[in-house]
Amino acid sequence: MSAAGVSAARVGLVSCTTCRLLSRPADKANPGRCPRCGAVLVWRRRHSLQYTWALVIAAAICYVPANVLPVLSTTALGSTESDTIMGGVIFLYASGSWPLALIVLVASVMIPLGKLLVLGYLLVTVQRGSVENSHNRTRVYELVEFIGRWSMLDVFVDAFVVALVQLQPLMSVEPGLGVVFFMVVVVLTMLAAQCFDPRLIWDAAAQRQAHHG
Amino acid sequence: MAEPGDLDGLPQATVVPRKRGRISVIWIIPILAAVVAIGIAVQRIRSEGPTIEIVFSAAEGIEAGKTLVKYKDVVIGRVTNVELTNDFAKVRVTAKIAKHAAGLMVEDARFWIVQPTVSLSGISGLGTLLSGNYIGFGPGKAAQSQSYFNGLDVAPVITEERGGQFALRANDLGSLEIGSPVYYRRLPVGQVIAYELAPDGNTVQVKIFIKAPYDTYVYPETRFWNASGVDVSVGADGVNVRTESLVALLVGGLAFDVPPFEPPSGPAAANTVFTLYNDRTAAMKAPDAIARRYVLHFKESLRGLAVGAPVTFLGLPAGEVTSVGLEFDAAKANVRPRVVITYFPERLMTYASAKADARSSDAVPPDEQKRRDLLRRLVAERGVLLKRLVEERGLRGQLRSGSLLTGQLYVSFDFHPNAPKAKVDMSQEEPELPVVPGTLVELEDKLSRVVDKIDKMPLEAIGNNIKKDLESLDQTLKAADKLISDADVKLLPQLRTSLEDLHRTLGAVERAVNSADTSLLGSNAPAQQELREALQEFARAARSLRILTDQLERQPSSVIRGKTEPTSGGR
Repeated sequence: MSAAGVSAARVGLVSCTTCRLLSRPADKANPGRCPRCGAVLVWRRRHSLQYTWALVIAAAICYVPANVLPVLSTTALGSTESDTIMGGVIFLYASGSWPLALIVLVASVMIPLGKLLVLGYLLVTVQRGSVENSHNRTRVYELVEFIGRWSMLDVFVDAFVVALVQLQPLMSVEPGLGVVFFMVVVVLTMLAAQCFDPRLIWDAAAQRQAHHG
Repeated sequence: MAEPGDLDGLPQATVVPRKRGRISVIWIIPILAAVVAIGIAVQRIRSEGPTIEIVFSAAEGIEAGKTLVKYKDVVIGRVTNVELTNDFAKVRVTAKIAKHAAGLMVEDARFWIVQPTVSLSGISGLGTLLSGNYIGFGPGKAAQSQSYFNGLDVAPVITEERGGQFALRANDLGSLEIGSPVYYRRLPVGQVIAYELAPDGNTVQVKIFIKAPYDTYVYPETRFWNASGVDVSVGADGVNVRTESLVALLVGGLAFDVPPFEPPSGPAAANTVFTLYNDRTAAMKAPDAIARRYVLHFKESLRGLAVGAPVTFLGLPAGEVTSVGLEFDAAKANVRPRVVITYFPERLMTYASAKADARSSDAVPPDEQKRRDLLRRLVAERGVLLKRLVEERGLRGQLRSGSLLTGQLYVSFDFHPNAPKAKVDMSQEEPELPVVPGTLVELEDKLSRVVDKIDKMPLEAIGNNIKKDLESLDQTLKAADKLISDADVKLLPQLRTSLEDLHRTLGAVERAVNSADTSLLGSNAPAQQELREALQEFARAARSLRILTDQLERQPSSVIRGKTEPTSGGR
């Protein structure tokens, strides 16, 4: 843990955010590009916290209509039925296919919510200069970033169903406004996760080390 | 001015560290998200209509989140919750009503459950087979809005159409039901919308709805009658089968019309109460306000004479039998049939007045008022007139058989000029009118008299006499036979001598003629000559005939085959 107390920036080095290569920056003010992958090197992402906060809050706002508004409206034999995400989960569970209900619940409700909570937690801890659980926080962040790309399950299902079920006089499926908000939530959380600089997690620990050391 | 190379004296720009927490553009995203979300929320809330509660006795086919509330087939709401009421007796249905229909939720708005119904009068709610039951809505007229309603158990037949409602008072419901058609001149113009027992339990009140513009044909004078099912009546006037339409035949119905004798005034006010008659005949009867009762004492059996049997005057219905019974005559210790009839002099007089009109040719078309005046006058004189008809013209009541098949009787009033004289006492409460025996009875009477007479005949004696007569006739014939044979023997010789005498006489006549020939005509007279030639000709013919006879004797076949050899003498 003692080695972890020194951050690269403190000793004048910069790590690439893309390929993680540790290199000497070209210039103090303008670190230049990564010699291996060519990505722009930054000491710390600019306004990382502010951006992340903004996106997380936006995503949180959109999360409400995404769950309240219907994602699908099914017209079968003249009667139209609108389903929200939760309604779909309940319907699946009630009709006995609980594994499917679980998948939808996890993928469409819990993961976006979890992402928002995790990002919020990370932001709060970083801003408060917390030094505890830095390892776990980093791992959780990586999980969030990894999971991001898998969160569009609902949107895909929606797109498929709408495209496939168009038996005009008998049955048709129309996307609801909820799916748009759901998509926005997913995109915003992905962007938020990207804007967040995980190195900030360790900065507090490094500072504390410097003070004590 | 300082020289160009001396720049050290210039002030150094200060680096102001960026203010931490400066608000970045990125915040537009959450603000935008918030604005959109709030916008949608506001729009949702603004488009949110009222939430109402409807209590039904049963929630047949109603599902929360699915069942719709429809008005004119437009969705105006959706059921959000279905639960039992607190006392578990009924079902409370919560529905969210669309904002555009919020104004309809007034005090007297009605809700009912629409489900597919197949009945004889039609199929309704077919759409619900696919989409499921829904809650129907009927708008109210009140202004006070309300959010708690009691649902109707039965869908009202009429929801909004223009027209008029009327009430009918009936003795019983018959085969009517909600939705039963109402006919005017066999045109379906309305429906039964409700019925209920009157509070006193004696009558049934039937509410009907007549569609506009037909409701204007309902006048205060209009009569309603039951056109339910088949009306088969077996009366003295035969078997009557009457029905309004096939639907009415199956499900019952009502019909109305204005009786011809009452000119309609203006349209009846809504909710006017009418009497529902059992059939058209009853409905169309003239009001019998001035009906007078008369008593008839028949001497024959009253079997087949029912209360309500018609009383006719010259074949026209003019009243009915109101009671059939027996009367005990204490003085004579005798029981005799007593028939009370209601005789409608008004009808009688109407016919009489028509006759009078026809007689007095100057009154070509008497206007309504005049006609009525005349009628009234005649009605006032009815007693006198009836008395005169009975006493002078021989108007008599008679029991007649309306139908030999059913044996129903009716009372007929006709003129019997040969009937014994009778008096009518019009001053009595129920005057007695004289009667004559019925036709069938009369016939029976005559037949029995004939049979009696036949019975009294000494048939045996007659038979014996005939036998004796026949024997004597036989003897007479034998005597005649003998007489004829006698005549044969005795008369023939005489006859012969008579003939011989006649022969002689004829010879004398011949001679006389011959002498007349020669003496009167002469041999050279042309007639004589012609006669001679004729006689010669005749002689030739006789000769030829002889030759032919000879020929035939020799060769009989010559008639068929011709002569075999030429012979002299031609034919």
